[in-house]
Amino acid sequence: MNSLIAATSGDVTKAGKAIGLALGVGLGALGAGVGIGNIFSSMIQSVARQPELRGELQGIQWLGFALTEAVVFYGLLGSILAYVLV
Amino acid sequence: MVRRLLVVAALALAAPPVASARGVFDPTKEFVQHEWIPIHLGPLNLSITKAVAYLMLGTVLTIALGVFTMRSRFARLPGRRQTVGEAIYEIAQVQVAEQGLPAKAIGRWFPYVATIMLFIWVVNLLGFIPLPLTGETWHGVPTWGIYAATSSLSVTLALALLTFVFTHYEGIRWNGPVRYFKSWIPEAPKALLALIVPLEVLGQFMRLISLSVRLFANMLAGHILILTFIGLMFILQSLVLAVFVIPIASIFYVFEVAIVVSIQAFIFAALSAIYIGSAIEPEH
Repeated sequence: MNSLIAATSGDVTKAGKAIGLALGVGLGALGAGVGIGNIFSSMIQSVARQPELRGELQGIQWLGFALTEAVVFYGLLGSILAYVLV
Repeated sequence: MVRRLLVVAALALAAPPVASARGVFDPTKEFVQHEWIPIHLGPLNLSITKAVAYLMLGTVLTIALGVFTMRSRFARLPGRRQTVGEAIYEIAQVQVAEQGLPAKAIGRWFPYVATIMLFIWVVNLLGFIPLPLTGETWHGVPTWGIYAATSSLSVTLALALLTFVFTHYEGIRWNGPVRYFKSWIPEAPKALLALIVPLEVLGQFMRLISLSVRLFANMLAGHILILTFIGLMFILQSLVLAVFVIPIASIFYVFEVAIVVSIQAFIFAALSAIYIGSAIEPEH
């Protein structure tokens, strides 16, 4: 909230921080979104081709999902650090 | 339909602040650790805080869950208790341990990965059950709130350190120190080695960071999302917003409880198994 007000009152540092935070989280989410989409699309394709492998693939799928999803949080953590420390 | 929703939204935002919703609300305050019972040993701070209380409760519940599901008399026709126990055991055995650990080490390390999976699962799940452990009181009655011990970096880092130490201990025990550390050096032209070896060493420590930050940030972000959406009512001081805010918060709540909680527990255990397994049997 404070950074929104600051942007209109001319406090450029706070506005810059807010933009940095939003960009960090947003770009992280963009990458993870593409990655998670890829994982699930390949999962659907593989199960459609060989339905009997579903059980085995599921473990790998969730592993990949969690590894990819974590990328957002690295972005989030980095931008929060930048927001707090700078 | 959409227009009606927009009108209601505009009205809700313009509605005069409700007196009961007044006050400053800051979601990050939920994650501050107050020392309930201070214990200081020299430079060590071993005080009982909110996270420690949740961890203790989680430990007791994990033991209870194990005893309850596993220590029943094995029946010819399994009851519900035994079915649940066997399902958990099968996930730990087939999906976690056998994926990462080589056959010769399963007997030794299956207990560790299974324990860490169950423990993280219980502690994560405890984080989404409202409990009177917020440490705040309202007219003498303890207020209820949600908090997960795993949304504290110290907790997840301690768990990741366990895996980190066990990984290298096992690597050295099975292969001997020389062969184990040699296995970190990949096959590459001599000129590139100076560049690759520091990266490999750094990679070992990055595992520690990624393992702990993944769990920590997932739980923290989940809680902050739910708290922020509910807190929007108090920040904008309008109770009418509850119509929008509570369904959204509930959706996130269900998503976290149904998917994230179990996935994170599974991932932590599976990666621990993979790391320990790859140290026991290096590729070259």
